[in-house]
Amino acid sequence: MARIDDDIHDAGSSPRAFTLVEVPLETVPADLAVVTPPSSEKRRRGDVFRPGPGPMVQFQGVIKRYDGDVRGLDGVSVSIATGEFVFLVGQSGSGKSTFIRLCIRELRATSGHVIIGGRDLGELKRSKVPYLRRAIGCVFQDFRLLPDRTASENVAYALQVTGHSRQEVNRRVPEILALVGLDGKGDRLPRELSGGEQQRVSIARALVNQPRLLIADEPTGNLDPDTSQGIMDLLTRINRTGTTVLVATHDRDTVDRMQQRVIALHKGRIVRDAEGGYNEDPGDTGEIA
Amino acid sequence: MRLGMFFREALRSIRANAAISVAATVTALIAVFILGAFIPSFMYVRSAVSAQTSKVDVDVYISDTASVKQVNALRDKIGTLKTDGQVAEFTYVSKDDALRLMRERLRDPSVLDQLPSNPLPAKFNIQPSDPANANAIVAAVKDDAALDPTEGIVYPQTTADRLLTAAKFVQWAGFALIGILLVAAVLLIGNTIRLSIFARRREVEVMRLVGATNWFIRWPFMIEGVICGLVGAVVAVAMLWGIKVGVVDAWASGADTALTKTGSAGEAIAFPLLTVVLVGAGALLGAVGSGITLRRFLRI
Repeated sequence: MARIDDDIHDAGSSPRAFTLVEVPLETVPADLAVVTPPSSEKRRRGDVFRPGPGPMVQFQGVIKRYDGDVRGLDGVSVSIATGEFVFLVGQSGSGKSTFIRLCIRELRATSGHVIIGGRDLGELKRSKVPYLRRAIGCVFQDFRLLPDRTASENVAYALQVTGHSRQEVNRRVPEILALVGLDGKGDRLPRELSGGEQQRVSIARALVNQPRLLIADEPTGNLDPDTSQGIMDLLTRINRTGTTVLVATHDRDTVDRMQQRVIALHKGRIVRDAEGGYNEDPGDTGEIA
Repeated sequence: MRLGMFFREALRSIRANAAISVAATVTALIAVFILGAFIPSFMYVRSAVSAQTSKVDVDVYISDTASVKQVNALRDKIGTLKTDGQVAEFTYVSKDDALRLMRERLRDPSVLDQLPSNPLPAKFNIQPSDPANANAIVAAVKDDAALDPTEGIVYPQTTADRLLTAAKFVQWAGFALIGILLVAAVLLIGNTIRLSIFARRREVEVMRLVGATNWFIRWPFMIEGVICGLVGAVVAVAMLWGIKVGVVDAWASGADTALTKTGSAGEAIAFPLLTVVLVGAGALLGAVGSGITLRRFLRI
């Protein structure tokens, strides 16, 4: 079980060139330069999606109906402040994935407003959607890596998309891989990596464009508990650098352990929104198993 | 730098999906080959038909009783038609000439010796400048006093009309067929590339997820299509060239038939021009095929 060992090892404290140091936002140390880069970096185009002040994520009376009157979300209003770490919990079919997909405009709300970084996504033109997605890091249960590309190339793709020069790609990719604990594994293909390692590649890719919002949909769904722990630690450290983190999960243990803000969905409605564990009051979410 | 990157991406995907790339290339090859075989054939048939059409001529037979004056009047009338541009050429064939020609044409000329007198009338052989003018020429001379009352004018009306219709038909059918072939080729290549994209649907999804713009995703696919189209076209042109040199040219130089004389090499399309057209068509097929196909996958 080498892969578990590896992930445990990584989650612990091993000496690395880059580490995420837990610090208040105001005092960002030099070794966090990878996560918050110098502003001198030039973008290729003006179409950069910049989150404004105020809440990072805002849902105002959002209803999402699928074909055949299936309700994904049924009147959800919620606000997530910049810098928060939030769990979105609920059974399968409760609306978690709908929530996430609305945030990255994979779906459009039937009614109500989805506002990300101060922008109403209902008014966002289709051609601007790529720029929104560059400002949001996404991590999924199934990793969604490009299978015929190495770990480095997968991360590099996200940088190429945003028009970074080759030198910059060559500089940044090893840095970010080291940051997520994948030193020296850049040349491996996804299938040559363990589940936990693949998820780290996916997190590296999500982080490499310095998103202000990181969204993870069941990031530990395919991983064993110890590996999950390592991934959650990584997400926590990312959150401590000021990135807003939204994690959809039904992993009760993880949520109970982290004691963060928990938004519970049931049949498309928010049934609880409080700090604490997965299910403080069992009657609320209807969770049985 | 970007173009280089798109190019590398295209090559990577060709390598990663070798089977589908080969399928797309072969599709382009077949399409271009058919097109390349069809275009010269079409040009040849067209020139052959127009050559036949230009051979339609009008024979005006002269009565044996017509006076020299009447014959000269008819000659002047036809001469005027030539000045007007309706007649390209005309010749007078006397009774003796007619008999001599007949004698040359017959296998056993001795039968003509049995004739008490020369039964063949003299005639004017008129070649219209354009087959379409034939009817006007006939109308202009048909009531002339010098005409032989029984023979009159011999003009292969139906043959001419049929040839004209055939020429028009060949032209339009040819253009229609080329059009259909092109559309079929685009659909075929598009379909093959659709397979390629379908195989990589997840990949395209991931690309969109990390914020790739549609053109960023589209370029490598289009370059891939162009490469497949170009390679297919080049191979097809090589095959066509082999067939031209090995079969058509050999046949054309060896055979001394009326058919090869009818459509001379100059009237069919020149091979270098054909090559340019076909290679261009191949590249275009690839680009358009993949471009159209991608649209569906780049929604949302």
